[in-house]
Amino acid sequence: MKISKPVLIMLASLTFSGAHATAVSELLQKYETQGAKQFNAQAGKELWTRSFGISKEGKVRRCSTCHTDDLRKAGTHIKTNKDIDPLAPSVNNKRLMEIAEIEKWFKRNCEWTLERECSAQEKGDFLSYIRMQ
Amino acid sequence: MNTVGKIKVWDPLLRAFHWTLVTAFVIDYLTEDDWMRLHANAGYVITGLLVFRLIWGFVGPRHARFANFVFAPRIVYSYFRNMLRGRSARYVGHNPVGGAMVIALMLLLTATSVSGIALYAVGDQAGPLAHWLGGLGSVWESRLKHVHEFFANFTLLLVIAHVCGVIAGSVLHEENLVRAMITGNKQRIVNKHLS
Amino acid sequence: MKMRNVLLALGAGILTVASQMVLSEDDDHGKKKGKWFERSTDVARVENAQYVKECGGCHFPYQPGLLPERSWRKVMNQLKDHFGDNAELPAPTHEQVLAYLVTNSAEHGNYRRSEKILRSIAASDAPDRITTTPYIRHKHDELPAKFVKGNVKVGSLSNCTACHTKAEQGSYSEGEIRIPGSGAWED
Repeated sequence: MKISKPVLIMLASLTFSGAHATAVSELLQKYETQGAKQFNAQAGKELWTRSFGISKEGKVRRCSTCHTDDLRKAGTHIKTNKDIDPLAPSVNNKRLMEIAEIEKWFKRNCEWTLERECSAQEKGDFLSYIRMQ
Repeated sequence: MNTVGKIKVWDPLLRAFHWTLVTAFVIDYLTEDDWMRLHANAGYVITGLLVFRLIWGFVGPRHARFANFVFAPRIVYSYFRNMLRGRSARYVGHNPVGGAMVIALMLLLTATSVSGIALYAVGDQAGPLAHWLGGLGSVWESRLKHVHEFFANFTLLLVIAHVCGVIAGSVLHEENLVRAMITGNKQRIVNKHLS
Repeated sequence: MKMRNVLLALGAGILTVASQMVLSEDDDHGKKKGKWFERSTDVARVENAQYVKECGGCHFPYQPGLLPERSWRKVMNQLKDHFGDNAELPAPTHEQVLAYLVTNSAEHGNYRRSEKILRSIAASDAPDRITTTPYIRHKHDELPAKFVKGNVKVGSLSNCTACHTKAEQGSYSEGEIRIPGSGAWED
């Protein structure tokens, strides 16, 4: 069977992006079993920039408050001023690699930003958005 | 200037004292409190050296004795002025200004060591005074730290002045005073000889 | 150079040095001093990758030597509300991090800064913030607010690495301080 070059390249790149693609795709499957419908990166982006209220210290509860709107840039923790490494996998190849890590940060950060746990749909949309940055 | 042979000026113990002091002071100044054990022990060595020098200044050979080189302030002052004019006389032992420097350094080194030992006691609850000063607290620690640093830096300033003085004296009287402090010998000068 | 005088002077000098060295062998609490040619760096470095990962994501991974054991136990007990955030860990990780902290807390090792911090805290207190320990408070009490709270690049005293350039290595030496926008600090 002759495989065309573009197909070959696509297959090869799939292998190389293997690790984080695996973690994300596993999670997406899991979220689907939890009731999520089709995932949408645009919806993820909208969630990212939406304001969910003001914290008691006067900070806006929004993902970009710490991570900025450009995921390729480093962010700053609003309380501790610590640098936060970029979230974009294209710039930081440590991101979206481990399921446990992804879940941990969802739990903590949704709790601060949305003041509740994120739904399976929201998490899936977030991942669809972040993985493309 | 006529020279006839060598005279022994600085005895071996005095020379050993001088160069050990130099080493210990350099170690102390460089280690600060980043190498505390080394710093403290070099400091103890300095206190021992000072005790030695104090006694030696009374019972040692001629040129080691304070009586040989401690002069009244007005004499020190006028010698200094003469140095600036390049007209100071050559002394076999310490000249009046050099002698004053010896006393000044001894006093400052004493102040530095004592404040250091006190600081060690208050700040680290360590050293020979820990039992008595250990409970003094952080305000005293700050004060002692400032005092100790001040005296240490003042000493360094005097050391620099001392080195300048040694160079000036060497040039003015055409002799190598540093070598003299190593070998102990100076040239005997027949005509321009004082004490 | 009479022998008697030599012995007198030398003897006195040596006695002075020796007596102090002997009296200083242990500090007031019976702990041995460090090795001779060992840098008395302030606190033990963090060498535990798990601690850095779990506790260094949002803030500087503070060295365990900066607080007593009872303080660390308190902090680890309150992770659900960790200064306003949920920092809970899965049970095995929690145990491992706690073990690391208490094994390396200020009571352990021979670290000068740790010992000083420890001594400044009353036995009945268990501060959960390093910045509220009397020792750290005292060390920073001459710092104008404009260098810390009013300084965009610093923000609070909890942000050690902003000014203490070698904090990651456990060194908080005065000479290494560079306040952003201001420079070195001498007090």
